[in-house]
Amino acid sequence: MANSNTTITHDLIIVGAGLAGSWAAMIAAQKGVKDVGVLSKIHPLRSHSGAAQGGIAAALNNVRPVPGTGPRGPLEQIPAGDDPVDSWELHMFDTIKGSDWLGDQDAIEILVKDAIDIVYEYDRLGCVFSRTPDGRIAQRRFGGHSAPRANFSADWTGHVLLHTIHEQALRHGVKFYSEWFCLDLIVEDNICRGIVAMEVLTGRIVTMRAKAVLFGTGGYGRAFKITSNALANTGDGVAIAYNAGIPLMDMEFVQFHPTGLYRHGILMSEACRGEGGYLTNSLGERFMENYAPDKMELAPRDLVSRSEQTEIDQGRGIMEDGQGIYLDMTHLGGEKIMERLPQVRELAIEFVGVDPIDAPVPIQPTAHYSMGGIPCDANGQVLADANGTPVVGFFVAGEVACVSVHGANRLGTNSLLEASVFGRRAGYALADFIHGGAQLHPVPGDPAAANTERVRDLLDNPGNELVEPIAQDLKATMTDNCGIFRSDERLRIALEDIHRLQKRFQNARVMDKSNRFNTDLLAAIEAQHMLTYSELIVGGALNRTESRGAHSRTDFPKRDDEEWLKHTVVEKTAAGPVISYKPVNIDWKKYPPQERKY
Amino acid sequence: MTESKNVTVRVQRFNPDTDRKPYLDSFEVELTADKTVLDALHEIKTRQDGSVTYRRSCRHAICGSCAMNINGVNMLACNKPLRDVLDRKGQVTIRPLPYLPIIKDLVVDRTVFWEQYVRVKPWLEPPEIETDKEYRVSPAEVAALDHAETCIMCGACYSACTVVAGNKRYIGPHALLKAYLRVVDPRDTAVEARLQEISGYDGVYRCHTIFNCIDACPKHLSPTSAIERLRKMAPKSKRLAQERQERQRTLTQPVAE
Repeated sequence: MANSNTTITHDLIIVGAGLAGSWAAMIAAQKGVKDVGVLSKIHPLRSHSGAAQGGIAAALNNVRPVPGTGPRGPLEQIPAGDDPVDSWELHMFDTIKGSDWLGDQDAIEILVKDAIDIVYEYDRLGCVFSRTPDGRIAQRRFGGHSAPRANFSADWTGHVLLHTIHEQALRHGVKFYSEWFCLDLIVEDNICRGIVAMEVLTGRIVTMRAKAVLFGTGGYGRAFKITSNALANTGDGVAIAYNAGIPLMDMEFVQFHPTGLYRHGILMSEACRGEGGYLTNSLGERFMENYAPDKMELAPRDLVSRSEQTEIDQGRGIMEDGQGIYLDMTHLGGEKIMERLPQVRELAIEFVGVDPIDAPVPIQPTAHYSMGGIPCDANGQVLADANGTPVVGFFVAGEVACVSVHGANRLGTNSLLEASVFGRRAGYALADFIHGGAQLHPVPGDPAAANTERVRDLLDNPGNELVEPIAQDLKATMTDNCGIFRSDERLRIALEDIHRLQKRFQNARVMDKSNRFNTDLLAAIEAQHMLTYSELIVGGALNRTESRGAHSRTDFPKRDDEEWLKHTVVEKTAAGPVISYKPVNIDWKKYPPQERKY
Repeated sequence: MTESKNVTVRVQRFNPDTDRKPYLDSFEVELTADKTVLDALHEIKTRQDGSVTYRRSCRHAICGSCAMNINGVNMLACNKPLRDVLDRKGQVTIRPLPYLPIIKDLVVDRTVFWEQYVRVKPWLEPPEIETDKEYRVSPAEVAALDHAETCIMCGACYSACTVVAGNKRYIGPHALLKAYLRVVDPRDTAVEARLQEISGYDGVYRCHTIFNCIDACPKHLSPTSAIERLRKMAPKSKRLAQERQERQRTLTQPVAE
């Protein structure tokens, strides 16, 4: 048993303070859980949810295309008494289709029904939305959605949502541990008993016991070279859970966003296309005509990214290395760009020196969203196996979770929605769990001491390999061999590279030896995490001999519903990762699989 | 023509556990067209000296982590091209945000900064008006917030403020801007209490209107204007609270276009 110097106890510990974690914390506190501790390895307001730009989906029916102008016509607010253009059913179908039928339909139904209420709740809690002339929440179009249902605040939607919920969590007395790094999850006999964490300021490592733990630690896009993800998005949660014996699901599904700033990967929101921006190749052609004649640039992200990559691979890319594509917004006019896309404009000016009002912006596909993660039910309860056995006291929400509502490909604006809806639901479930007589379970051994030793070994490693080159090599092979287009041959190269890099990491040298605010040490642990789960991304991709959503195999270009209408589940064993499969929840009467055409 | 050229990045170092006082350390990095100050720091940390310590996360000017003092000016490191901040000698000097205790190198202790933020009760105090839809807020009411909702709490303004430099009890531009956001929002119910909180000796009247905060803000916000407006509103807090109550009676109604 850990001694009291190294133990902190809470009823509920939440790791990650983005939208999912903050919602869960706020709701649990509101429902009377007095003792909620939230850890973030950065300050909560620095969480990556704040970088989301374009909107949060919900069928509010506030705007529609001007009658008579067709589905891509200009938008107007829907006059009082007129028929709705949107419904949760339509949102549900779009999401299922977007997921390429790998999303669990029972969970998707919850997502789209809760969507409407959660956006209104954001409004009641102080979120500053853009508005229609009569004062309703403004909406815009987004890819793969068949109605304008992206509710937004200019192009900083995630920022205002994150700040709103963080503030409300403070209002309800949540205790935040800012700059605390979670190192380990304590699970024994399928019961979660707490975590081990390091206070970044001092380097001290403590056991944190709790009746329940929630991970809202975000996604794993940082394992790729060009990515929209924050530097902090290193996927720690999936690696920590996996190491603690929790299975992971659908790790091979990584979404590439079509419009990352050329070479930087920084996001040019899909709202750029939602507001009417379009894509052109080096010949000046609006090439989406050849790939998605109906939806054009507003086809789902997987399809648009593949189209761009195909143009690039066939020699029609832009810039010196031919790896870019133009995002043209010049026809939108300065007024609209400054009102609706001010952040995007500034980023383009700052990072590539182009003002989108005057000239097209060079972009390229960028690793963006992790569809895979820790499997859970619609209340965030983590599932230990395909039979639905719960890991008692362990919950997840947001991008680290795999509910799965996005299946093989997420639609834009469904991620802020997912983090919010399932963060909130997890908050209610956690409150029920704790009020329902949940207990502090004894902690086996001295996990703080064990982790202190592990960290000490890393710090004392006399090896001669720097961490950064290992991480760079990993990102390069993931992008080149496990990126938008994959094949057996390339995935095997990636797997070999990863195994080689894992060996190299055994000689990794941490340069900073101090205890105080040692971010060099944290970067080493983060790289270790990336090496752990990248193997699982590639392993899942190698096994899945079909193309579905964001997973696209050149050697198996077709979707194979006979064989592959199932989730990948991977578990850590003494012999290495072991893959099994689990059926997708499908309503065969209402939403049977069909060909995905846009 | 692009030719490679090395430039000197001087970083202020200080680890209170081992150093008596701060000193400058010099590093060489290659100057390339699209390298930012943060990229340069990243290169130094990951290839040359891993103990160089700073905060960063999103690397595109929305998370607020990497505010620091570059050639004497507070800014974000992530969106500043390295070539734009070189001084006459072709070098750049990076220090932590001034007037805040140093934790290590460029990482400062923001405890008081966050305490002031919490002091203004940054959250909306929501009305209890039943509706199954959103409250109606006009585009003009949103515009009146003056984009205060986009503040990223990076602290560049706070640490550029000469009043903060001398008096840590001053609420500070970041928290006063947040107070302004709430006071002006038609959905907030705590106008009077907020105006009372910020109109004391440590609040809006403490501001010397030197505009350092405006110059420092990487998001082009104007804490000074917000403070000036709050000053005008403060004496009328009772009347404004009454007006707010009246406005809230129509919160569920369509606004006039």
